[in-house]
Amino acid sequence: MFRRNKAAMLGLILLGLVILTMLLGPSLYPVPAFDISGKPFTGPFEVASLPLGSDYLGRDILAGMVVGGRATLAVGLAAAAITVSIGLTVGALAGYFGGWVDELLSRIAEIFQVMPSLLFAMVLMTLFDPSLTTAIIAIGMVTWTSTARLARAEFMRLRKLDYVNAARAMGAGPVRLMVREILPNAAPPLIVSATLIIGVAILFEAGLSYLGLSDPNVMSWGLMIGSNRKYVLDAWWAVTFPGLAIFLTVLAVSLVGDGLNDALNPRLHQR
Amino acid sequence: MTARDPMPGTSQESPLLEVDGLSVEFQTRDGVARVLESISFSLARGQTLGVVGESGCGKSMTALALMRLIPQPPGRIVAGQMRFEGIDLLGLSDAAMREVRGNRVSMIFQEPMTSLNPVFNVGEQIAEAVRLHQRLDRRAARERAIEMLEAVGIPAARKRVDDYPHQFSGGMRQRVMIAMALACNPSVLIADEPTTALDVTVQAQIFDLISDLRSRTGTAVILITHDMGAIAEMADRVAVMYAGRIVEEGSTADVLANPLHPYTRGLIACAPGRRTAAHGEPLEEISGTVPSLLERGAGCAFADRCREVMPKCRIGLPAETRLAQGKRRVLCWLHADASVPGAGGAS
Repeated sequence: MFRRNKAAMLGLILLGLVILTMLLGPSLYPVPAFDISGKPFTGPFEVASLPLGSDYLGRDILAGMVVGGRATLAVGLAAAAITVSIGLTVGALAGYFGGWVDELLSRIAEIFQVMPSLLFAMVLMTLFDPSLTTAIIAIGMVTWTSTARLARAEFMRLRKLDYVNAARAMGAGPVRLMVREILPNAAPPLIVSATLIIGVAILFEAGLSYLGLSDPNVMSWGLMIGSNRKYVLDAWWAVTFPGLAIFLTVLAVSLVGDGLNDALNPRLHQR
Repeated sequence: MTARDPMPGTSQESPLLEVDGLSVEFQTRDGVARVLESISFSLARGQTLGVVGESGCGKSMTALALMRLIPQPPGRIVAGQMRFEGIDLLGLSDAAMREVRGNRVSMIFQEPMTSLNPVFNVGEQIAEAVRLHQRLDRRAARERAIEMLEAVGIPAARKRVDDYPHQFSGGMRQRVMIAMALACNPSVLIADEPTTALDVTVQAQIFDLISDLRSRTGTAVILITHDMGAIAEMADRVAVMYAGRIVEEGSTADVLANPLHPYTRGLIACAPGRRTAAHGEPLEEISGTVPSLLERGAGCAFADRCREVMPKCRIGLPAETRLAQGKRRVLCWLHADASVPGAGGAS
């Protein structure tokens, strides 16, 4: 099913290329990204040693592209992992137990939901040292509520189903019912949302870097765009290439997410 | 009641399961509803007790109360006792109760189509049920699952153990549910309308299977149904429920041959028999419906539908009348003078 979905396959290929570049790129193109490698504002394809040109300080754009994906994708994956762990735990407890547990957890989630997410993330970043870890936690803190709501709805729906009651009558306790009976059935939409959250987190990381709130010592696509934003008109390439990389990566992740959604949704592939 | 003053002639050992004065209330928006009122019965080892009544009479609620699976809130067991193998079930901790469920007392449900988890194969599900209660490694649990599938008559059990629920028909799934319920050798199997969702031909097979397994394993069965035919075939004793109360209880032969409560008579008359089938006569019916929980007054809940209603029926209920040395009881003014009033259970 997944393989027949052309868009999803395209996404998977793109994502594969990005990951491959991330893993192998720095060893194939070992130019330090923070070093001054040539004259500032060298355009792309002008000098052989600077294939994609240089930025306002003379730093190699291609070197930044190759290394910068690591931080961007790492933040995306780690933030998505945090989002899913918090969101799933909160949502599962609220949905399964209902009553006051649900009331309490839903109110807490709402407190996070009503805050403008980018602003909240910015506040968190400025309160603590700007580092990758802070960025990951900040992004996780602002995105977990959507997963929590989804998990809550799924657990609420599934906990009343006959096979959950049957398992309860077989002597299964709440933890077992949640983990073994409900979670596998709630997994497909959660997997899809987790994939999409990777994309969201990458965009968040880029946005925070653009605003100068990311770790200045770690090269990332967002940092490249952020530090070159004043020179957009003089050196379009310095922001365009990292921007394109972010765009393609997020697109790839979304396509894979949609493909997973189609593949995992039982209503779409019944014989 | 029966335990405090054992009757001569009843078996010497204490009953396997004894329920005494069990009452359950539900908190609703419009007030408190009593869904079960002073339910008492006992079940001996290896015996089958049939519980009959219309929908909404509290049959399934009784089963859930026995398993302590009443959703709480809004439900609550407000009075009564349940003793199982000498243990007070209501006094058990949640963890101890989980040890009873599925292990000592099992239950099968009305809807075999939806009672199995779609993402695991049936073998895993049976093995899981076994491993909840017994320390078995995966392979031994799987062997037990195959053994149980064979016991419930699934052909090629060793192959089918890896099949998923959607690869089984409704009747086969109910067999799988029975296999799961009996995998830990429980002493009581509660079957809550196990055949309602199945074809008539399959219904007979499932009933045959249950009686066969009962005679082989000695598991006592509480069979909840509204099918008088099934009761006649399967049950040793029968309890007739109406509006949350047991209105008549006795040995199946006695009750069917000589129903005392007008409701029981109605139920028996409603069952399609040889006479109606041969002569094309329309089926009997009991007019009206079970009154809503909140509309039930002090009197007999059946009064409005009863052909033999008397003025006192609407004022209050008589004490339970015990007959046949206490082996038979009925809750109706028609029989209220058949025993000494106020004598309780003594005969």
